[in-house]
Amino acid sequence: MVPQYAIAVNDIATGVASYRIWGRLGWREIQRRYRRTTIGPFWGATSLAIFTVILGLVWAQLWKQDPKIYMPYVTVGMILWIWLNTSLTEAGGEFILNEALIKQLRIPYTLLICTVVWRNSIVLGHNFLIYVLVCIYAGIIPTWNTLLLIPGAVLLCVNVLWIALSLALLSSRYRDIQWIVGSILQIAMFVTPILWDRERLSGPLNALIDYNPLYHYIEVVRAPLMGRAPEPWTWIVLIAVAIAGWAMTLYLFSRFRRRIPYWL
Amino acid sequence: MASITLDDVVIDFPLYGVRPGLRSTLVRRAAGGFLQRSDDADQLIVVRALDHVTVKLRHGDFVGLVGHNGAGKSTLLRVLAGIYEPILGRCEIVGGVSPLFNGAPGLHPDDTGYENIITCGLLLGMTRDEIERKIPDIGTFAELGDFLSLPVRTYSAGMVLRIGFAIATAIDPDILLLDEGISAGDARFALHARERMKALISRSSVMVLASHSDDLIRAMCNRAILLDRGKIVADGRVDDILAQHQSMSTDADKTSPKIS
Repeated sequence: MVPQYAIAVNDIATGVASYRIWGRLGWREIQRRYRRTTIGPFWGATSLAIFTVILGLVWAQLWKQDPKIYMPYVTVGMILWIWLNTSLTEAGGEFILNEALIKQLRIPYTLLICTVVWRNSIVLGHNFLIYVLVCIYAGIIPTWNTLLLIPGAVLLCVNVLWIALSLALLSSRYRDIQWIVGSILQIAMFVTPILWDRERLSGPLNALIDYNPLYHYIEVVRAPLMGRAPEPWTWIVLIAVAIAGWAMTLYLFSRFRRRIPYWL
Repeated sequence: MASITLDDVVIDFPLYGVRPGLRSTLVRRAAGGFLQRSDDADQLIVVRALDHVTVKLRHGDFVGLVGHNGAGKSTLLRVLAGIYEPILGRCEIVGGVSPLFNGAPGLHPDDTGYENIITCGLLLGMTRDEIERKIPDIGTFAELGDFLSLPVRTYSAGMVLRIGFAIATAIDPDILLLDEGISAGDARFALHARERMKALISRSSVMVLASHSDDLIRAMCNRAILLDRGKIVADGRVDDILAQHQSMSTDADKTSPKIS
């Protein structure tokens, strides 16, 4: 008898490794979403571009910042936030949405989670064009620090995968979770430095941000894209949360993985 | 060598979202039936779909599953496919499983036939090259012609059925699981499908087919299992089991209330 945790680990490993399958599923989904439109996923990018340009110009005044510093900051923050936010909210409904497939074929559940993250990464790829344009406007040139983007992105994905998997698992049983997560993320956006710089906050509130993992999730990729290196504390938070989060996810997933089709 | 072993498997489906008041009513009404309270502390209402099922399928077993609607045929097939992993009991599956339940897995109406063949093929565990090689054969068998490059949404019901069947039967599985449906379609296609099925069965090691068609089971199987209320009632030679199923149906007709 194979122990449940071994089956769970195997599910995660084969799920992540089936990049051919989730790669295709993600692409197909994006293509379907924008079929018969002329510019496809760039519609999302266009509205984000308008948002960041207007906000960049107006709020730079509000915060008394140079738009050439503020606009790239908001652009990168928003691109990453949209990716994080939609990945997590969509993950909550992913098993429920794929009930037919789950009851038809034995596939690694993690595969569906990878599809969600990948699908949103494709959207992120399109939005990235705005970043490039803003960089040209703001005169940001890549530095050696930009290379930290790679370990940052990997570490961020490791984190997002455990959250997404746990949410998908729990939402299959408790359908409220998906909606709760949506509300929490909506509020979280305003207390996380995305539209504003943490330097604007002073005193104890600023210190609290050190304990907001969402801030570090954004920062670990935002800083390199702005040509800075992330703070050592950011790396520590990401690694610590990844270890603790995966430990919890493995526990939950080993325990409840086989119940998923019964819950759907 | 492919094989499946089920050892004392119990499958309970929890019913969520039932009002507490309704729960006790349901349980009282269904006394001796399917609905019961779960053994754990949750006290949930569960539907017992499989009740202590023990069975062993070996290489060369082509099994027909018979029983009334709701006897547990589809659930048993899904357990054999590894989809429902038993919470009570043990299930051991050796070999690659290919299920054909309701059409091809992951078939999407907005994708073209060609795109769907690739997606479904990947999901079923084929490589891209393997799929590319099989596309002409799938297209010919499903008689789709130029429709292959149109969205499945534009297909007739028969065409959807054919493409699903063609994809699912394009692989070479160790263990083949089939649920009804294959008899659907027009008469000519049914005949066509039967030939393809036979070829597929001859390439696989174990086959389980759930069907209400005695003819189909006689033609395809060398062993039959009779299910009733989630229990295996009989297991043996096709003709014996079908006869037993027949007599069970006539008995049920006599006892069930009639509208005059």
